[in-house]
Amino acid sequence: MSNLMIDVDNLTKEFKSHSSRSGLKGAFRDLLTRNYTVHQAVDSISLKIKPGEMVGYIGENGAGKSTTIKMLTGILTPTAGNVRINGMNPHKERERFVKTIGVVFGQRSQLWWDIAVQESFRLLKKVYNVSDEDYKSHMGLVIEALDIAPLLDKPVRKLSLGQRMRCELAAALIHNPPLLFLDEPTIGLDVLVKLKIREFLKELNDRYQTTVVLTTHDLTDIEALCERVIMLDEGKIIYDGALSQLKTSWGEGKQIQFHFTSPKTREELLETTGSELVVWEPSENANSWTANVTNDEEVISVLIKDVVADHKILDLKLLETSTEEIIRNIYEEGVIHG
Amino acid sequence: MSYVSIFMQYVGQYMKTRLTYRTDMIVEIFSDLLFQAVNLVFILVVFGHTKLLSGWTKDEIIFIYGFFLIPFAVFSTFFNIWDFNERYIVKGELDRILTRPIHSLFQVILERLELESMFGVITGLVVMVYAGQNLGLTIEWYDPVLFLLFVLGGSLVYAGIFISIATISFWSDSRTAIMPMMYNIGNFGRYPVNIYNQIIRFVLTWILPFAFVGVCPAAFFLGKTDWYLYAFLTPVMGIAFFIFSIILWNIGVTKYRGAGN
Repeated sequence: MSNLMIDVDNLTKEFKSHSSRSGLKGAFRDLLTRNYTVHQAVDSISLKIKPGEMVGYIGENGAGKSTTIKMLTGILTPTAGNVRINGMNPHKERERFVKTIGVVFGQRSQLWWDIAVQESFRLLKKVYNVSDEDYKSHMGLVIEALDIAPLLDKPVRKLSLGQRMRCELAAALIHNPPLLFLDEPTIGLDVLVKLKIREFLKELNDRYQTTVVLTTHDLTDIEALCERVIMLDEGKIIYDGALSQLKTSWGEGKQIQFHFTSPKTREELLETTGSELVVWEPSENANSWTANVTNDEEVISVLIKDVVADHKILDLKLLETSTEEIIRNIYEEGVIHG
Repeated sequence: MSYVSIFMQYVGQYMKTRLTYRTDMIVEIFSDLLFQAVNLVFILVVFGHTKLLSGWTKDEIIFIYGFFLIPFAVFSTFFNIWDFNERYIVKGELDRILTRPIHSLFQVILERLELESMFGVITGLVVMVYAGQNLGLTIEWYDPVLFLLFVLGGSLVYAGIFISIATISFWSDSRTAIMPMMYNIGNFGRYPVNIYNQIIRFVLTWILPFAFVGVCPAAFFLGKTDWYLYAFLTPVMGIAFFIFSIILWNIGVTKYRGAGN
């Protein structure tokens, strides 16, 4: 027995779709023989997650995030590969397996639209076969932490998105699962609700050692919650490691933005600084330029000194590369260096 | 058993929401009644032109229709899954179903309950009693038992066919007109199948065995001895078709592709 929460080995999912030929003649030919294209949504990925970890799973649209999550939650059957979660095979032992996980899909409701939130909870309590004592002690805390007590007797369709999302999260935790999948849980939410949800997830992780796998487009979620990120591109894992390391190996550069009093050309600036240690990029207008340099005190000081000596400036800004930019850079280059 | 208690929970919840929309429910029951009345009038019109239809009298045909209404009502109550493709496959609602620890088909049935369709049982009984009195039928001690058995068989035949058709969605999620067509074919079952030609008769008996919902079991109560074998096949056909559809469903679920994104 391994002591891993999630153990995935060479997981692959192919989708077969037929591509139609063009024109009327093509349509008739399609009737007889079809062209199939096989699309690898997830291409032999392997990953291991320990109990209690909070992992961010990121990637562009169509990178295969949702497909992976759906295979890990037993919704989709993998084309190839092994999945063991909590020592179980999700799609083979689906009904037993799903008792040990909680799932929140940001774009899909788990709750019944027409009935009050607490009635939904009661149905789910029955579905997951949770005893009254467990429900009271555990859900009492969840309801309090998410601050949803005043919403319990309202029907779901009357809730705002933020209110609904908090209730969804509570619904996914009725059976206090050791593993929680969150697929875009903060999509479309305002900052306050986001903060509340993050705080709650942290608390949950502290208290119960709940393992959390989180997909999101909002990298601030990941920064706030996850130490580890797994990055996916075209169905393959391109990075799996600490978020901090991603920042140091990619975000080593600093940017210095200068606003000059008059328009400058690249040549003029290069004359001042030379091209060895700095890359100049034009900014918003002809008067402003950004210098990309390595994060080195000496280099930065010399650069600023030289520029200010030769040119009159209005303003100067030191920028650190944001995670978002790092991720964008990685996707543009398509590989991880370092 | 926990499935029974979950079922009761769902029924309770269903009643609660339905009772808040009382007018909806009344309108629905009323339109069902109207629909059944139209069908009866059709039978009466046919018999305005002839005394016998392939050897069946007016009251016998009405009796068969009355019987048919009962398994049909049971079916409509529990297996109201004609919009399965659109609702669960195209919209991806099945994702949610599959993350819960209960058999997926059972959950779909629970969510699609339509208890007011049970009203059809009363209509059916009234029609049967009326026709039965005209025919001078008597009730033996074993009749109620067989009646329940045949109703169950008929409902399962219907359920089996419609579940099997719903599973097509797992392989191809394009919308088809096959469900409404099947409803129409289902209606053939409420007339004696020997009024149709050989091929239709064969199809309705062995391939889409709607004959076992109406005429076959009802013929037993009408005392048509040459139909007895078919009548007693009803529960067998029901169970066989239902099991077949469950197997098909279980295979289909593994082919589910999820909603496209």
